Amino acid sequence: MLKRLLFLGIVSGLLAGVAAIIYQKVYSTALSVDFSAVVKTAAIPIATIVGCLLAALGNWVLYLLLKSKSEVIFNLLFAILSFASIAPAFGAKLPLDSPAPPELLPGLVIPMHFFPIMAYLVIRPLFIKNVVEAPKA
Amino acid sequence: MKKLILSTATLLTLVAVFAFAPAATNWQIASKYNIRFTGGGDVGGIFKTFKGSIAFDEQNPGASNFALVVEVASVNTGNALMNNHIKSAEWLDATKFPQIKFTSKKIEKAGAAYQVTGDLEIHGVTKEVKLPFSFVAKGAAATFNGTFTVSRNDFHIGKPGGDVDENIKLEISVPVTKK
Repeated sequence: MLKRLLFLGIVSGLLAGVAAIIYQKVYSTALSVDFSAVVKTAAIPIATIVGCLLAALGNWVLYLLLKSKSEVIFNLLFAILSFASIAPAFGAKLPLDSPAPPELLPGLVIPMHFFPIMAYLVIRPLFIKNVVEAPKA
Repeated sequence: MKKLILSTATLLTLVAVFAFAPAATNWQIASKYNIRFTGGGDVGGIFKTFKGSIAFDEQNPGASNFALVVEVASVNTGNALMNNHIKSAEWLDATKFPQIKFTSKKIEKAGAAYQVTGDLEIHGVTKEVKLPFSFVAKGAAATFNGTFTVSRNDFHIGKPGGDVDENIKLEISVPVTKK
C-alpha cells in the first residue's frame, strides 16, 4: 500500500508540476508579466512532487488509523490544506525592483496550489482501489 | 535732462545685471531614480513615477529651484494587499490626493552639501520643510541624493500609533543629465 501511494505521490506531483509550468507560461504570455525571478520554473515541480509525496504519506497514515473511513477524511483534509496554503501567496512580498506588479502574483500562484490535489485525486483510482466498499444490492 | 540720463543709465545697468546673472542649469531627470520610504518593520516601498523640473547650479544655489511631483498611485511595497491599503482613504488616499508635490522656495549651501526649503504637499496638507541633499556632478550627468524623515501625523496619514512609525524615512536618489 505504501509503495503504491508513494508512486502515486511522485506521478501526481510530476503531473501537477507540468500543469503548473504550462499555466505559468500561459499566464506570463497572456498578461505580459514575468515572475520567473520569484516563481522559479525549476522549483515548481519540486514543490508539487514534495507536496504530493507528503499527501501520500498522510493518506497512508490515515489508512492505517481509519481504514475504510480514511478516504473521505483524507480528501477533506487535503482540500482544507490546499485552501490554507494560498494564504502565504497573499502575504508574499516581491522585490521592489520586480518589473511585474505584485497585484498579479496571486493570480499566478493560487491556481497552482490546487494542481497537486487535482492530479492526486484524478489519478488515484489508477493506483489504489477504492477502500470504501460500495453497498451490496 | 540730467535726471533722464541718470534714470536711463540706472535702467540699463539693472537690465545688464539681470541679463548677465548666471541662470541655474536645467537638469533632466533620468529614468533610474529611486524614491524609497521605510516606516519600521515590514513597512516600506518605493514610488515608481516621479517627475518635475530641476534647475540647479552648485555655484549659485540661490538661483536654483525644484518643482517635483510623485504619483501616489505608483506606490509599490512589493505586496498587493499593502499597496491597496497604502492607497486607501486611511493612508495616502490616492483617489482624492493623487500627487505628492514639492516646490522649493530657497536653496542654500549647508556645509559640504545643500539644504532646500520648500513646500511639501502630502495627503492634501502643505507644510514648509527643510530637506538636506547632496549633489555629485560627473560631466553632463549628476546625482541628487537626500535622506530625511517626514512625520506622517503632520500630514494626517493613518492613525497615530500602530505598527507604522510616526516618522517615515525617505531616501531619494535622482540621477539627472544636463538639458
